[in-house]
Amino acid sequence: MSRYLLLFLLNLPFIAAAILNTTVNYKLGRSSKRSFVFRILFWVLILAGLALAQPIYDFLFSHKLTESEPLSLFDVAQITGIVIVFYIANRTRAKLDHLERRVQDLHQELSIKLSQKD
Amino acid sequence: MSKKANLRACVVIPAYNEAEAIGEVVNNLKEKMQKSPYNFEIVVVNDGSRDRTSDNARKNGATVIDHILNSGAGGATSTGLSYANQHDFDMAATMDADGQHAATDVIKGFLKMEKSNSDLLIGSRLIDSKGMSKVKVIGNKGLSFITYVLFGINSTDSQSGLRIFSKRALRSLRWRTSGYEFCSEMLWRAKQLKLNIGEYPIQAIYTEYSKAKGQNNWNAFNIIKSLLKRRVMELLHE
Repeated sequence: MSRYLLLFLLNLPFIAAAILNTTVNYKLGRSSKRSFVFRILFWVLILAGLALAQPIYDFLFSHKLTESEPLSLFDVAQITGIVIVFYIANRTRAKLDHLERRVQDLHQELSIKLSQKD
Repeated sequence: MSKKANLRACVVIPAYNEAEAIGEVVNNLKEKMQKSPYNFEIVVVNDGSRDRTSDNARKNGATVIDHILNSGAGGATSTGLSYANQHDFDMAATMDADGQHAATDVIKGFLKMEKSNSDLLIGSRLIDSKGMSKVKVIGNKGLSFITYVLFGINSTDSQSGLRIFSKRALRSLRWRTSGYEFCSEMLWRAKQLKLNIGEYPIQAIYTEYSKAKGQNNWNAFNIIKSLLKRRVMELLHE
């Protein structure tokens, strides 16, 4: 199997999951339209970059814009690792943000309720 | 003056280590509000102070909400306005605890809110900046400019702590930042909710105490950093 195809296939599930999460959040009213468009564009760009990795490399190489070796298996693993880290970081950040908001709300409600008890 | 029986106004004062000034601020406000046409309640949100802020405010007749943890000016203001919303007040105001704002300006704001169709009225110290130091004028104008660039909101004093809220604003307005940057974020959220934002001139009273307690001008950089972060994070996560 071509290494470029392997790179694409390995990363496809993560990008598909990210696009699906973004769409679900938007449809459930948890994100604005602007944010939805921005995030979809972001992941589609990464997907396009991976899908067109070979023609992009060939173009850069033929125009002497890169001196690097063609894609190795190590490169495939490394790029996949970066995409996974990106995906996890993005999800973690969203969860942290959500938790932070919940803790703030809880603190606020607790303070009001306790003051009424006094 | 007869009270407008149905109009209830809540004045929220977020306070952190303000034991020295809070008693006089509450007392003075109470005196002026008693002469106003509103049924009122003064709510001091003690944001985890380590001094006697809470006791002094209570002693002078304010309702006190004690924050268990220090949450910043934005968090304390949010708690106070949430209390006003839960208790079904018709209007609410926020003012600083260091005596920087005149009680008469709060009443002026309530009266203006009644006459106008605004949902959020900002008491602007910069329409007439007499008495304000040049450094403070430049700092505040700079932050108002940044607010305009980031959020497209044209306000002469985006950082003012004296604000008047309509019932509609009390019900819908929420923000995320907890520090002083909430002043700009609040305007942004109000714009997103299509609330009517207005301004009216107020006087800033700078005493030695309020000058010493006031924000360090370098804090402006933290505010800008936090607003930029919030703007970008909103694109990524919300």
